[in-house]
Amino acid sequence: MRKNWIVGLALAAPLALAACGGSAPPGTPGAGGGGGGTAGSGQTIKIASLHPLSGSSAADGQQMDNGAKLAVEAINNAGGIASMGGAKLELLSADSKGAPETGQSEAQRLVQEGAVAIIGTYQSAVSQNVAAVAERNKVPFVIDVSSADAILSQGYQYTFRLQPSGTVLADQGAQYLSDVSKAAGKPAKKVAILHEQGPFGTAIKDTFTKKAQSLGMEVGPVASYDPAKVSDFTTQVTEVKASGADVLMVAGYYRDGVLVAKAVDTVKPTLNAVWGVANGAFDLPQFAAEAGKAGEGFFDANYHLNGKNPQTQALMKTYQDKYNDQIRTGAVLSYDAVRVIADSLNRAKSADPTTLRGAIAQTNLESLVAQKGPITFSSTGENQGAAPILMQVQGGKVVQTYPQDFAETMYRYPATTGQ
Amino acid sequence: MSLPERSGPPDAGPAPVGELGDSTAESPRSPVRTTRRRPSWALPAIAVGVVVVAVLLAYLRSGSTDVVSQAVVTGILVGGVYGLVAMGLTLIFGVLDIVNFAHGAFLTVALYITVVMVNRFGVYPMLALVVAVPVMFLLGAAIQRFVLAGAIGKPLENQLLITLGLALLIDNLLLLFFGPNPQSVKLPGDTAVPIFGAVTTVSRLLAFGVALVLAALLYVLLRRTRLGTAIRAVAANDSGAQLVGIDTRRIYMTTFAIGTACAGAAGVLVAPLVTIEPTTGELFNIIAFVVVVLGGMGNVVGALVGGVLIGLTEQLGALLLPGQSPLLAIFLVFVLVLLFRPQGLFGRTS
Repeated sequence: MRKNWIVGLALAAPLALAACGGSAPPGTPGAGGGGGGTAGSGQTIKIASLHPLSGSSAADGQQMDNGAKLAVEAINNAGGIASMGGAKLELLSADSKGAPETGQSEAQRLVQEGAVAIIGTYQSAVSQNVAAVAERNKVPFVIDVSSADAILSQGYQYTFRLQPSGTVLADQGAQYLSDVSKAAGKPAKKVAILHEQGPFGTAIKDTFTKKAQSLGMEVGPVASYDPAKVSDFTTQVTEVKASGADVLMVAGYYRDGVLVAKAVDTVKPTLNAVWGVANGAFDLPQFAAEAGKAGEGFFDANYHLNGKNPQTQALMKTYQDKYNDQIRTGAVLSYDAVRVIADSLNRAKSADPTTLRGAIAQTNLESLVAQKGPITFSSTGENQGAAPILMQVQGGKVVQTYPQDFAETMYRYPATTGQ
Repeated sequence: MSLPERSGPPDAGPAPVGELGDSTAESPRSPVRTTRRRPSWALPAIAVGVVVVAVLLAYLRSGSTDVVSQAVVTGILVGGVYGLVAMGLTLIFGVLDIVNFAHGAFLTVALYITVVMVNRFGVYPMLALVVAVPVMFLLGAAIQRFVLAGAIGKPLENQLLITLGLALLIDNLLLLFFGPNPQSVKLPGDTAVPIFGAVTTVSRLLAFGVALVLAALLYVLLRRTRLGTAIRAVAANDSGAQLVGIDTRRIYMTTFAIGTACAGAAGVLVAPLVTIEPTTGELFNIIAFVVVVLGGMGNVVGALVGGVLIGLTEQLGALLLPGQSPLLAIFLVFVLVLLFRPQGLFGRTS
């Protein structure tokens, strides 16, 4: 009996993975090379948007796909690609399900269906695989969201990234903490860290620790957790309380971020700040609403849409009207990714992916996201203008507080929560 | 009490004498049991001993009584929720022999029922039980009758794949109707409560308390009612049960419905504790399976105790092995238990 069901389980496990992973329809065979690079004047140019439209990251994935759709709409309504006789853009949306294998097979399919560029994909593991597909097929891939440094350290020629890399985020996160706490007259002395245990959280923790120590802060205790399974943080927060740390740095995702806020509200440690770095919760309007007073005063150093840019404000309104939801920064980055491609098509005067790649490398475009300069790409494909800014939850709203250029209001430090 | 696993297809022959009517692991009346087992106090004593050692080690490691007592309190309360989720699963497994992958998805359905009740009709969250439990009971009955009944007697893979497919279907239907944005349910007056030098919240205490009540109700249902007796008879030997005139098809349907209703109750109780998304139920699936095997498959009280054990392991493990996944400690305990007691802590020796 028992053997029976163990065998059954063993049989079902790979099938379960298959069910989650591989429903990509077979692509047309033998259509290798550069895909359909022949779109000319008056024709449509296909761009692929590959995001997790189902599964646990569906909320972000659907937002980002909507952002790309709005960008294509806006560009087509403004007359398409001017230098190519007003050629229109067409968006091919695909679902990566957040699974690297699905992302890979879908990217291959999209290229074979004639996409001249791909944007995506939210998860670093998926982007890693898609970057390899893009390189092999010589089709440009513009990453909107995916922080892992490793993606662009392979020497790929066809992959570009809009968001700041994990290293930049963590480095700046520590710098901002030092700047803000010193300016407030209560320099951060001892920083406790709570990070998700995957490559993302661990990389942020490592870089942040190095930078914080070089800025004269003590780091510890450090605790990690499994973001998919964790259900309570009261023990970890009690540990932080007992350690006497004055700042708690948190690197994680949405669900765990809410649980941290609840635990901080319950345990009430004596902290000057809860400091998110590239945190997937603390800078979202949904977080401020769900956590309520528990999340009040939380900081997050992260890439963020530029709420002071009139173009971004218009986009925020369009999104709200069309989808009845507040736009997230990820969707603005997808919007930017399509703009980068449209701008490059205009300069390349050709939809040939190789020519397009050359044009993308020469990009110099204002971003709708808060950046220290326009979008330009380094030789490895990193966006050189990308930088995080500091957000804080104030009065149930996420506001931009630092650096000065992007500040909507003054930050509040120390920010003891729940008061 | 335990539900011995079904003794196989009719052609496998009758179950060994002594198992049929004996479905209590702790029953002192069973002559078969006493000859085979260590004294009844041995196991609890070992378990308590291990927990005490773990607590002492955690204290040495962290050097703070506050942290350790917080870990113990949190572990017990979180464990209660794990046990609650696992109860329905273990019931379904014990009687129908179905490894129900859709259990987490059923729980998610109840979460969304709670969301609608609370956020649209302004009902007190716990009152959503009144709607969620009957709705989930009927849903479970319908699914067993129209979807799973055909797979009874067929290879186990069939049922596995059906429940897996159901889980995917439910997840994506919820995604379609409610959208991907996270939702939440707030318990009015949900404040911090100090307890033994640690703190917790009203919602956690409530979830734990109702889990205990629910376990007691299930226990009474299975031990003291005609229906419960019939369920245990079918669990012990379905062809035997048929021979004495029990309508096994009806029992299968009712049991699956009760198990699903348990998932429904669990969903309502955990609603204030979690962020509600179409995939939230999956969080509990793996842990619930561990708890079911640990507690002894088909054993409702075992599920509750197993849940608390896993909760404690998770919290103390995080203190003892900092920087490691809490799952490491959980699976360490899991492997040890399977090594020394493959039938689970409260399982029947086979």
